Amino acid sequence: MDKTDTLDAKGLMCPMPIVKLAKKMKELKVGSVLELIADDVGAKEDVPAWCSRTGNELVGQKEEGGNFYFYIKKVQ
Amino acid sequence: MAETKKFSIVVSEGSFDKAMMSMMMGNTAASMGIDTHIYFTFFGLNLLKKGAKPKMPGMYRLFTGMMVKKMKGIGIEGYQEQLAMAKDLGIHLYACGTSMEMMGVKKEDLIDGVTVLGAAAFLNVGMDSEMQLFIG
Repeated sequence: MDKTDTLDAKGLMCPMPIVKLAKKMKELKVGSVLELIADDVGAKEDVPAWCSRTGNELVGQKEEGGNFYFYIKKVQ
Repeated sequence: MAETKKFSIVVSEGSFDKAMMSMMMGNTAASMGIDTHIYFTFFGLNLLKKGAKPKMPGMYRLFTGMMVKKMKGIGIEGYQEQLAMAKDLGIHLYACGTSMEMMGVKKEDLIDGVTVLGAAAFLNVGMDSEMQLFIG
């Protein structure tokens, strides 16, 4: 998947992946796609919840080698 | 984008667990774009004092350092760092005026950026919130 930037949140537990995600997204331009990598199981539900709340788009999601990958497009 | 929602929290205890819970909930909400308001009353007020270093409650206070270390290990910063984050994220922090009087706490004992508020004024904030929590 095409991505603008990557945020590695492995080793961080809830709520840090979300707090760091929000901070990172502020730095990106509209239309950018951020790859977020996390290993906290809670992120599976938290990241989609964050996206729907903030109006950003979750364009892809996969699980690989015990890590969760999210692709989030900045809409606004 | 979902419309902006309002979230208010009352914190009535000043122990480490209550302190961390209020910060983690608050900072997560603010990171989700939720307008977040936290009111510190009774022993919760101590958390707004300059350099506050909350301890675990009762006999568990001896394990505070262990707890802090364990949380750091999973990427969760200490109370002061979280409080700084809350201010950065624009969370509204309020001190209960009556608690200040009762506990002999002066405005200058508190960190900057805190608004002293009465119960009625905070209840107004709470009434306008979609979600209210009491941590105590």
